[in-house]
Amino acid sequence: MDDRKLLEHKVARRSVLGGLAASLAAGVAATADTLAPKVAQAATAPAEVPSIPGYDWSKHAWAYGVDATKCIGCLRCVEACKAENDVARDPHHFRTWVERYVEIEGEETARIDSQADPVNIAASSSEGTYRFADRYKDEKVHKAFFVPKLCNHCTHPACVQVCPTGATFKTDDGVVVIDHTYCIGCQYCVQACPYGARFFNAELQVTDKCTWCYHRITKGLQPACVEVCPVEARIFGDRNDKNSAISKFIADNRVTVLRPETGNAPNVFYVGLDKEVI
Amino acid sequence: MLIATGVCTMPKHIRRLLLLIAAFAVLAVATRFILVDKSFYQFGHYRGAAVAEIAHDKPKYQGTEFCRSCHAAPYAAWSTGVHNRPLIGKTVKCEVCHGAGGGRDAEQDYVNATTGPIHPANLKLTVPRDTRAVCTLCHERIVGRPVQQAQVIPRDHAADEQCTLCHNPHSPRTFVGATLALEHRGSIAVGKLKSEACAGCHGADGVSAGLPGPTLAGQDEAYLVNALRAYKTGKRDNPMMSPMVADMSDDELVDVAAYFSSLKCTLAPVAQERVAAAQTSGASVCTSCHGFNGAGALHIAPHLAGQSKDYLAEALRSYASGARPHPVMTALGKTLSEQALDNVATFYAGATCN
Amino acid sequence: MEQQFLPAVYTGFVYPNETVFPWGVLIVVYPYLTGLVAGAFTVSSLYQVFGLRQLRPVAHLALITSLCCMIFVPSPLLLHLGHAERAFNAVFTPHWSSAMAMFGYFAGFYIILLLLETWFVFRPYMVEQATLRKDWLGKVYNIFCLGSHDVSEKALAADKKWIFALAIIGIPSAHGLHGYVGFIFGSLKSREWWSSDLMPLIFLFSAIISGVALLIVIYIVSCKLRRVPVDVACVKGMGYTLWGFVMFTLLLEGVEFGSLTYKGREGIDMILLFVTTRLVIPFFVLQFTIGAVVPILILSFMFWHGTTGRRLVTGILLSALLVLFNVIMMRFNVVIGGQEIAKTGKGLLYFPWEIFGREGVLAAAGVLTAPFVLLSLLVRLLPPWHDEIDPDHATA
Repeated sequence: MDDRKLLEHKVARRSVLGGLAASLAAGVAATADTLAPKVAQAATAPAEVPSIPGYDWSKHAWAYGVDATKCIGCLRCVEACKAENDVARDPHHFRTWVERYVEIEGEETARIDSQADPVNIAASSSEGTYRFADRYKDEKVHKAFFVPKLCNHCTHPACVQVCPTGATFKTDDGVVVIDHTYCIGCQYCVQACPYGARFFNAELQVTDKCTWCYHRITKGLQPACVEVCPVEARIFGDRNDKNSAISKFIADNRVTVLRPETGNAPNVFYVGLDKEVI
Repeated sequence: MLIATGVCTMPKHIRRLLLLIAAFAVLAVATRFILVDKSFYQFGHYRGAAVAEIAHDKPKYQGTEFCRSCHAAPYAAWSTGVHNRPLIGKTVKCEVCHGAGGGRDAEQDYVNATTGPIHPANLKLTVPRDTRAVCTLCHERIVGRPVQQAQVIPRDHAADEQCTLCHNPHSPRTFVGATLALEHRGSIAVGKLKSEACAGCHGADGVSAGLPGPTLAGQDEAYLVNALRAYKTGKRDNPMMSPMVADMSDDELVDVAAYFSSLKCTLAPVAQERVAAAQTSGASVCTSCHGFNGAGALHIAPHLAGQSKDYLAEALRSYASGARPHPVMTALGKTLSEQALDNVATFYAGATCN
Repeated sequence: MEQQFLPAVYTGFVYPNETVFPWGVLIVVYPYLTGLVAGAFTVSSLYQVFGLRQLRPVAHLALITSLCCMIFVPSPLLLHLGHAERAFNAVFTPHWSSAMAMFGYFAGFYIILLLLETWFVFRPYMVEQATLRKDWLGKVYNIFCLGSHDVSEKALAADKKWIFALAIIGIPSAHGLHGYVGFIFGSLKSREWWSSDLMPLIFLFSAIISGVALLIVIYIVSCKLRRVPVDVACVKGMGYTLWGFVMFTLLLEGVEFGSLTYKGREGIDMILLFVTTRLVIPFFVLQFTIGAVVPILILSFMFWHGTTGRRLVTGILLSALLVLFNVIMMRFNVVIGGQEIAKTGKGLLYFPWEIFGREGVLAAAGVLTAPFVLLSLLVRLLPPWHDEIDPDHATA
């Protein structure tokens, strides 16, 4: 090869090598960046916590209870949640809702209705207020009850698993939340939730769901739904505290969860469910 | 250096292609580093700063203590009433009916002026006007509601009336009297002059021996005023009373009521053994409005003690038949059998009046 | 604020949040497009890697068809996303537990692969055009040549190695690109209609048949438009491929449906009710019968009878069109049908059709036609035709 070509080769070689080395270095740096915090956390004793004034998430393990035998179906919880969390005031987007199960004599399965049912929508005075219509009064009802529902903040949340970006996650104190500035709105999590707890927030164009009022519980308050329930059908508390309402609720009752066969391990514990409850 | 040799000997276009790819890779990685938030991966596969951001929002519901400092009276009524019974797990907090103290809620069909974020600064909280719509959310009898929840069929319980006609919303088993309290008391002396025409049916000194008119002596003054006004406006219709009050002014009605209220009632002539028998009949449901033993009742419900037995019986029958419509009495009247009706009338007729 | 969503009407009981469908026709079109990409590439690979000589006339056409479809593959997703501008979040911080996080990498890798493969295959042509043309287009070709006009034996030999390597890598990549879509549906616990281990396979094989069918149609149409005789052997080769893969796809779909009904898990009552009422026409009639059984019968009959020439080409063309229809129906029945069956297992929803708007039918149709508009332009810039008919091959 002549000199010019040789030089060209050397230049090309260096630039290719340089390019490859640079990308390799960048790749190593990227991996290091991912691993470093994990390594750092393991190495140093006082782990970082999010800077929430007066709150250390490592001290809490939140859980929720529902006593479906007490629920009177007044739906104050549904409206309070919408007011507290700016949820869309229409009957198609709920962070929490209540279902009514009515077993009529002679029928094999229960009749179920909730806030999206057209009869109940008609009974409410507006799209943003909710009530159960006075139904089935002429039927032979042999059993009827209400079941409040909300996000179960599962220990193995299917929604967190399927999120492609890491926008939804479970906090160290047990609450599954959504980072509204990072979510791309693909709605895979909405599909994945077996409980129908998630929905698409049309205003923000991201997905949304119950957060156990994280902004309240980190200030020592109760979630809005628990706060307003007049009959203590909803219970909330810290499982780390053996004297909390939820610890007592779980200890004193035979509690069940919804759809245990999914393996999601929900953290909303129910008393008073029935074989008909889905 | 095999790669280097390989790169050297490969054709120019492939070398340049690889360079292009390498450059693109570097650019891609660099972009990633610039764009991804530094707090990502801090606690897990998410943006660590998001946790504090989510926790940062201001709560809207403030709790009952927030209301107490300015609204001492309703708070006091509430705290001793049946809407505040934490020991049996039943508590209706202020914000359940009035909306979030720290929030704006223009969606309810309540009177609401929302100009600021926090009550009280510029924010009036909702004061439910249509109490039937509010109270029935919890207290309407619907399929599914557990039996331990107090519930009624609104139409049967109160026809078209508002719940607050009888119930103090902050302490519902304390019945409303304030709304019917008199703005001013009448003059007894003037009333005496104006009431001469009344003796024909209501008896001398307001004690009637029997029908057609009831004993008026010692009756609750506000009740009498409201009854007279009801005749005048047509809310109550009676062939004798309606024309009688048609020509009277409101001041005259108030004076007449004051006069009769000031008179002493005497026991109606009723056989005492019948009174004793009647005592155990279903008079208990009456006490919440008519007072214990039919005396000391609320303004909306008259004293019954010492009232003419015939009048009482006739009144109950006219309630039951619908001739005399009343939001509460109609339903109650219908539940009475003839014997029970007689017992109730006897009981109150024989009760001590003051 | 006017409603930014369409609530669905339903029967029975559904969770209140289910009354708004998360995924619409765009998510029906997306797997269809990636399917065309994978299928077209398979045809190209049958020639490049597996040496099926009779597919030479369509090999390069298949490649650029695959490329044109691939370029538009992200568009239904971007249109659907609430925040398309954040789409790269899934690439910068991919949550590896999620099948969807694979998309950025599979798609990114695959588009580079297709671009490279196309570049290598058409390099001689680009060099020729760069040297011959004196206009601005010649300059563009020159840029794409990366300033090298080397078409020596050595260079072409090196190119050939690259083409072969890329084609080999491309097969599993294409299958990964489309298989993960099936996995997205099949791995969910929440919907009984989707939850199946066979889902990735079904999506993959129906992708392959859609790609093969597409090539058949495009090849025959392009021959007619260019007034060039159709190479019957080539069409027959694709026809055989189609026949084999359609039978296998039908088998897989049948096994999946049979397995679902046989197991009879919770929620099966509603599925059976749905399938025997509302889904009879879209599923049994359109997808299975008209879309799969009829093409199999047509092809079987022709191959058994030894049909040749024009009749054969017409029969295969018809079968290909039916198969294309089958695959779009399959995507529709899976994506929309799955959401019409409520998670409660006690209710059925009605999909609210939208014509205009981001999630509307028009937008989806636009996304589906765009690759072919691009193709019609690209074949002028990079002609993939190989019309030198083998004398042994019949024409039609």
